[in-house]
Amino acid sequence: MPEAPAKPSGLPDTPPNVAAASREAFAAWVDEEPQGRAFGQVLVRPVPLAGYHLCHIDDAGSVDLEIHDDPRAAREIAKLTGEGEYRPLKSSPNLRRGWALRLNGVPGLAVAMNYLYPAGIIHWYLHREGRLEITDYRENAARQSGIYKRIQRLSDEGVQDAARACCEDAVCLKKTLWNVDSGTPLEMDRGNGHIPCPEPCSIFVSFARRVRLFEREKKRDLDAAGLSPSEKEDLVALVETAASGAGKLDFAREAEFEKPLNERRLRYRRLTLIPKLHPAQAADNPNE
Amino acid sequence: MKALVIVGHGSHLNEDSSLPVYEHAARIRERFGGEYDEVVECFWKEEPAMRHVLDTVEAEDVCVVPAFISEGYFTQQVIPRELGLAGPVTYKDGKAIRYAGPLGTFEGMADVILERADDLLRDKEVKPGRRALVLLGHGTDLNKSSGGVIYMNAERIKERGLYDLVEVGFLDQDPQIAEVVESVEAENVVLIPVFIAEGWHTRETIPEDLGLTGEVTRLANKTIFYGAPVGTHPSMAALIAARARETEQEIDTETQVARSTR
Ligand code: SF4
Repeated sequence: MPEAPAKPSGLPDTPPNVAAASREAFAAWVDEEPQGRAFGQVLVRPVPLAGYHLCHIDDAGSVDLEIHDDPRAAREIAKLTGEGEYRPLKSSPNLRRGWALRLNGVPGLAVAMNYLYPAGIIHWYLHREGRLEITDYRENAARQSGIYKRIQRLSDEGVQDAARACCEDAVCLKKTLWNVDSGTPLEMDRGNGHIPCPEPCSIFVSFARRVRLFEREKKRDLDAAGLSPSEKEDLVALVETAASGAGKLDFAREAEFEKPLNERRLRYRRLTLIPKLHPAQAADNPNE
Repeated sequence: MKALVIVGHGSHLNEDSSLPVYEHAARIRERFGGEYDEVVECFWKEEPAMRHVLDTVEAEDVCVVPAFISEGYFTQQVIPRELGLAGPVTYKDGKAIRYAGPLGTFEGMADVILERADDLLRDKEVKPGRRALVLLGHGTDLNKSSGGVIYMNAERIKERGLYDLVEVGFLDQDPQIAEVVESVEAENVVLIPVFIAEGWHTRETIPEDLGLTGEVTRLANKTIFYGAPVGTHPSMAALIAARARETEQEIDTETQVARSTR
């Protein structure tokens, strides 16, 4: 096995190993609580002398679960929703039910957790230690290139609305720790979960790009009633599906922000379109 | 401790893009497990994100292999930026991180393409006549090396003399794949997409544009055998491991040369 290249001088010889430390700290935190800990939608229970038992929080009392012993089975568990939809964002509150993982040690626990909530226990640990590095929106945007470069032009208000539409617990269980920039905090419910979000994720960046397109369009193409083409497109799609779908709305997939019936896109409309259509109602419910 | 990190593109819409990365990582754990304490996947559009993956790695000796065919925007710009790499070797947070080149330029790629073609023809009736292998590349006007990799592999395969003809066609640049397949003078045309993963193009646009009906399409004057993308072939796992091994050796040699000439 080739030897590692020589380290430049000046580096500490025994740097703190974050992966190992977070794994041990997470296991210790779980061990303290015999009833188990909820992490995202997963209930992690210590089983004395056996290891750890993981299942969906809503399956805590179920006996009829599909049992897996391989921690890597967690990848398949995390891949699709109960309805068979692909899950591009593992912190969405749509983890499927009906499974259990029986893991016999701390390394297996870390592997499984990393498929269920990638980097989740690392961020949890670093945040607890006060060492989690936060990257605010503007800093993240400055790094973007290619088709995402345009998110640099998203207004502060656009970032605020995008974060409320994209990051609240109803759609993402992470606790949003980043801000617009160091002087402009996010004005939203950042969430109550244990998994910190230190930086806008790729789903958010893609959503921000869409919101930036909406912003540009507003300035250019409002009609006499003040509606933009994409707002009208969404209203038409809603009316059409509701009128013909016999009560069944066929939503776009989670990250299909270019489609009208996307949940995050409609959450954004709730923030920006409803006040336009119904100023009085918006004033009554400033947070809706 | 040693770790291998495989970087994939990933997708917000389906599992096609990340699946081969997960499958190759699993094969490497199984077959080359002795070489690595950890084999870790990460992505541009999926989690774990490149931005955070190195924190999840315990080893201090890390090799990063991009699961990309050609050198370009992702391998030169996005991956180094997101992983915080400064060159072929980066020292960061107590880790030495080596960065390998893309897979398409690596010697073993031609073998995987040929294996894919053999697998495709196995158990199929191949009529007498000339056999052509057509390599299909993505191609783009922005990135010259994207096409170059396909030509490089075509040349390597030509040298072996296994096919009467070896041709190249692209989706987004000339020569266009449809024209190449139509004009190639062979009774049997083996078409292999030199892509990393299945996707919209391999499943829909290509079969549609070429009028393919499945793995085997018999036309009046020729039969077209359409293979799965080379990147999903199980042998890619060994190619990734070999790519990593070679990068480690290259960089070690350079370091030693640098040390001895100091
Ligand atoms: S940026 Fe928002 S959506 Fe993405 S992980 Fe963080 S909180 Fe969730």
